[in-house]
Amino acid sequence: MANHSDVIIIGGGIIGAASGYYLAQAGLKVRILDRGYLGSGSTGRCIGGIRQQFTSEGSIKLMMESVRLFGEMSEELGTDVHWHNGGYLFLAHDQQRKESFLQNIAIQRQAGLQDVRWIDAYECRQVAPGLDINGLLGGSYCPSDGQAYPFAVVNGYAQRIKQLGGQVSTFAEVSDVIRTGGRVKGVRTVQGQEFLADVVVNAAGPWAREVGALAGIDVPVEPERHEALITEGVEYLGAPMLVDYRSDGGYFQQFKHNGQFIGCYSPVPNVPGHSSDSTYQFLSEMPRRMLKLVPALAPVKVIRQWSGSYENTPDGNPILDRTPLDSFYVAAGMCGHGFMLGPAVGRRVARMITEGGTKPPLAEFALERDFSSKEAMK
Amino acid sequence: MSKSDEKIICRCEDVTEAEVLIAIEQGATTADEVKRLTRAGMGHCQGRTCRRLVNQLLAKKLGQKPEAQRPVTQRSPLQPISLKTLADS
Repeated sequence: MANHSDVIIIGGGIIGAASGYYLAQAGLKVRILDRGYLGSGSTGRCIGGIRQQFTSEGSIKLMMESVRLFGEMSEELGTDVHWHNGGYLFLAHDQQRKESFLQNIAIQRQAGLQDVRWIDAYECRQVAPGLDINGLLGGSYCPSDGQAYPFAVVNGYAQRIKQLGGQVSTFAEVSDVIRTGGRVKGVRTVQGQEFLADVVVNAAGPWAREVGALAGIDVPVEPERHEALITEGVEYLGAPMLVDYRSDGGYFQQFKHNGQFIGCYSPVPNVPGHSSDSTYQFLSEMPRRMLKLVPALAPVKVIRQWSGSYENTPDGNPILDRTPLDSFYVAAGMCGHGFMLGPAVGRRVARMITEGGTKPPLAEFALERDFSSKEAMK
Repeated sequence: MSKSDEKIICRCEDVTEAEVLIAIEQGATTADEVKRLTRAGMGHCQGRTCRRLVNQLLAKKLGQKPEAQRPVTQRSPLQPISLKTLADS
């Protein structure tokens, strides 16, 4: 049957693309469906940061694996994904933040992340040229964290999937998950196509709850709008991604491959829903926050702003599991970390499907879990 | 080098016709996808020059009628503005 695959993946962002790649590598016939173009949901709207500084052992180890995979990716996929280990620097302007970073560093080192360390304000300015260290106590610095270019990564996976005999359907929005006898059979699209498969994966990112509902499975994922902007390219300064958790802080980094600064902040209060609107408030507020940290960027010009969704779970950790519906899997709720988690999560998804069994790959990412704890470095 | 390698479609990001054609071969069916795969339209002028050229190539390669092409997402600001000017606004 022309429209039958071993695995259908709903969602062509990094989670779907990476999962599809590792499944195709394992010899399975894969079809990826996306309601828009590849990366149109969240992946293509993220700012491309990749870090291992988390606070749970599971996330730290998963991210260490992802960093290793990003490092090999350009060669493996045969396309330059612009991986660069420029590092991440989390800034502490008060004692309480410093204490919590020191605790996190201990947990991270315990988990095997050897190069993360506390650096004082003076050293912060050495690794981040131009950083205003007025009032800064220091920061949590991990030089092996890095950056990559999201569209190149997703497209690189997609091209490999096609080379391995898989298929990619864009502008194909799933309207129905076909089930018979407690087992998933395939999907139908808004456009009227029917695709059948032995396995279906919900990797729909911000739409994971809606897609789950089509299969009768509740996936507790709530989208939340985050805005971002990018500047023209200027000479690369060699600074790491700067993360300022203060209420008037934000995150930004410079891409090594083209010198553009890209940044965002988490709005307070949050903006729930599927909106991809941009606001003038962000366009003026984000530059204020960037210039507060690095005043020398004043003349650099902003060329574009946009927004995208974080797909949040109640506890800030992803959902990566089988579901009560036989052969229907979920890999979603990456809480703003999907791009960086993608390669390692993709491998876990492939392993979960090819190796069978009943347990979730990581207990802390189970679909049915106590969602009351919190990932602190969100 | 073929002619297609020399013909610049997006002069802000130095994207050639050959690169746009590769993106179309790889599955791009809209100017938005070409933009994301090649960076044509992601530079200073935000696609004001290359958008029509990209749409022409899409029309030629995929037989699309111009009126059936999906419009490209337009993003602000309309022209580059310095961080300082925005911060002071």
